[in-house]
Amino acid sequence: MNKLVAIIKREYLQKVRTKFFVIMTILGPLMLVVFTIVPGLLFSMKAGGDTRIAIVDQTEGVKLYDSIRNSLLKLERDQENNKQPGIADTANGTTKERMETAGKSMTGNFQVEQVNSGRRSLDEIKRELNARIGRDELDGYLVIPPDILSNSESKASYYGRNVGDVFTRGQIEDRLNSAVRRQRLIKEGVKDQDVDALSEPVDLATYPVNEKGEEGAEDSGAGFAMVFIIAFLIYITILLYGQVVLGAIIEEKETRIAEILFSSTRPIQIMFGKLIGVSLMALTQLMIWGVAFAAIALYVMPAMAAQGFEDINLPHLPPFFFVYFFLFFLLGYFMYAAIYVLVGSMVTTAQEGGQLAMPVVFLLVAGLYLAFPVIRAPNSSFAFWVSMVPFFAPITMMVRIISQTPPFWQIALSLLIGIVTVVLLLWLASRIYRIGMLMYGKKATIPEVLRWVKQS
Amino acid sequence: MTNDSATVVLDHITKSFGEFTAVSDLSLAVRAGRIYGLLGPNGAGKTTTIRMIVNITAPDSGWITVFGQQITPELQDRIGYLPEERGLYKKMKVGEQLKFFAALKNVTGKEADQRVDRWLTRLKLMEWKSKKSSELSKGMQQKVQFITAIIHEPELLILDEPFSGLDPVNVEVLKEIILELKAAGKTIIFSTHQMEVAEKICDDICLINRSRKVLEGSIREVKRSFSRNAVALRLVGGESVLEDRAFISNVQRHSDGVEVLLAEGATPQTLLKELLAADATIERFEMIEPSLHDIFIEKVTENV
Repeated sequence: MNKLVAIIKREYLQKVRTKFFVIMTILGPLMLVVFTIVPGLLFSMKAGGDTRIAIVDQTEGVKLYDSIRNSLLKLERDQENNKQPGIADTANGTTKERMETAGKSMTGNFQVEQVNSGRRSLDEIKRELNARIGRDELDGYLVIPPDILSNSESKASYYGRNVGDVFTRGQIEDRLNSAVRRQRLIKEGVKDQDVDALSEPVDLATYPVNEKGEEGAEDSGAGFAMVFIIAFLIYITILLYGQVVLGAIIEEKETRIAEILFSSTRPIQIMFGKLIGVSLMALTQLMIWGVAFAAIALYVMPAMAAQGFEDINLPHLPPFFFVYFFLFFLLGYFMYAAIYVLVGSMVTTAQEGGQLAMPVVFLLVAGLYLAFPVIRAPNSSFAFWVSMVPFFAPITMMVRIISQTPPFWQIALSLLIGIVTVVLLLWLASRIYRIGMLMYGKKATIPEVLRWVKQS
Repeated sequence: MTNDSATVVLDHITKSFGEFTAVSDLSLAVRAGRIYGLLGPNGAGKTTTIRMIVNITAPDSGWITVFGQQITPELQDRIGYLPEERGLYKKMKVGEQLKFFAALKNVTGKEADQRVDRWLTRLKLMEWKSKKSSELSKGMQQKVQFITAIIHEPELLILDEPFSGLDPVNVEVLKEIILELKAAGKTIIFSTHQMEVAEKICDDICLINRSRKVLEGSIREVKRSFSRNAVALRLVGGESVLEDRAFISNVQRHSDGVEVLLAEGATPQTLLKELLAADATIERFEMIEPSLHDIFIEKVTENV
């Protein structure tokens, strides 16, 4: 027992004093911000200049051109009124809002010109416009068929160089739609000034209701961000500390320290000493982050609100959430750490270890990706089965618990399956560890490893 | 050899790894308070044998007793082991490192601190105590590793090639400590393939080759049993005697003398008498014992 404590202590103290730990403790939250917010910001960037569009309006009397042009240019005026959406808004909005604001600013400015058809045929006009696109004088053009107002089957066509820019395309489609709708309504006798009032969009406010039937505060979408952040946090810490375990195992094998350790105490004690030591290191880091987060929530945010900043509504996390987080984090950590011990015992160098550990990383990444469909339907049967698979449960079950807490028996079952898996994996890892650590020179083959498991 | 006073007894030990038999039907006894040389070429099975004694691996069959008991993890605290393949934590300070290894042998607290300081001073490493071991030279690292093997004052010390890669000065320092430990009544198993070193240090030896024991006994006994009745001579005259096949079966001429092998029935005394009778001037007349090196080569090659 004293020896186990000595091993845990060494592992913990040595690791906590490393630069890696200090840097990760500081950079971790930054990385979290970078991975969750930056993609949204990148989306809202439109590189390059204005989008130059020509409109071929074949409707009788050219009724639509002005409407579409106004729509496209009005957009710019709207934007000027709104200014650029701030980061806080972006992070705080619902996904839909975020996509929309991103889409709006993304379209950038339009330059619109009318094409006078004169007596030329459509094919002639198109040939000329295509040539202009080819010379990069134009980004695209819109062809409005003559019967667009009367025939609902009628199709407008857009020809452009970059049709992959779905946001610009979406904006054009959107504006075209509203212009056509507007003209159709006017044609049916609605007054011009009434059209805007009638087309006013509806605001949808979202309120969560829990299993007791109680309503919560309006959810601005921060709940979604929180679920994602937690899923990502579990993913990144398990990955990170799994790698730390792998490194520690390989170090002792490479430096041949294992032989001295094994002559002093049972290999299983050494293995557990290392796993527990690294887990304490991980928990220390999580605790520092937790305290920092709580401090920001309790002191910095109210201070910012007092300074006139918009109050960012942090989602409320009930205490049982932290218990589950702790349990599922440890479950995931020991599961993947056991696999990393197994990998570390089989290889001879850190490089080999990295290669052999790739499938493990994929397994973990798969868990993170599965979190997305689970967030959308936390109580679907898909979510249920995915949260029962032990390798995904630490992420997927946690996502379910935060977004829509499943019945207790499901959480308990998921934990139970996880614990059984961890016990089996630890047993397997310890069998391979005690022999693999003394095998130098070459990477072990699968048959060899199977023999080690059976060997007494 | 009485097993009662033996610190380590191996009784028909066999250990295989898949198809490969590393140790086959090996029996030996290491007597308390003596230095026991475990000799053999590379790959003979020395390291595997040692790993079984220190309870790192278990034999497939046979029995091992250490201090009269079957080996348990508790007994490991009474054994010190310096493996041939050895290392230190690169980024850990020397002092902390030694304390950690002491704790693994259940030596903790002030006691551990004192011992660390004592040994670092003795091996002239005190100024390196708070340096990371990666900053140490190879020889210094080896001395630190040696301390890890003895810091818990083990009753049984197992050294696997302790001198490999050390300069002569440090070899002498370690040798002195090993002999001190022997004088203090510790039992030492010394594994090597360097016969010159074994010859100077060991009381008893066991030669293993290709997983089997080929020879065991005290150095005296072994040498005596291999004595080939050879005499080294440096003479002026007396050539006729050397040609006489009644006395001498073989003559080897070196730059500063000859080495002769006596014929069956002839004794050194009769040779001496004959030489005197032949009026030869005798500058050197010495019975030669085979060196451990010769015995090793002879035994290892004859088995092939």
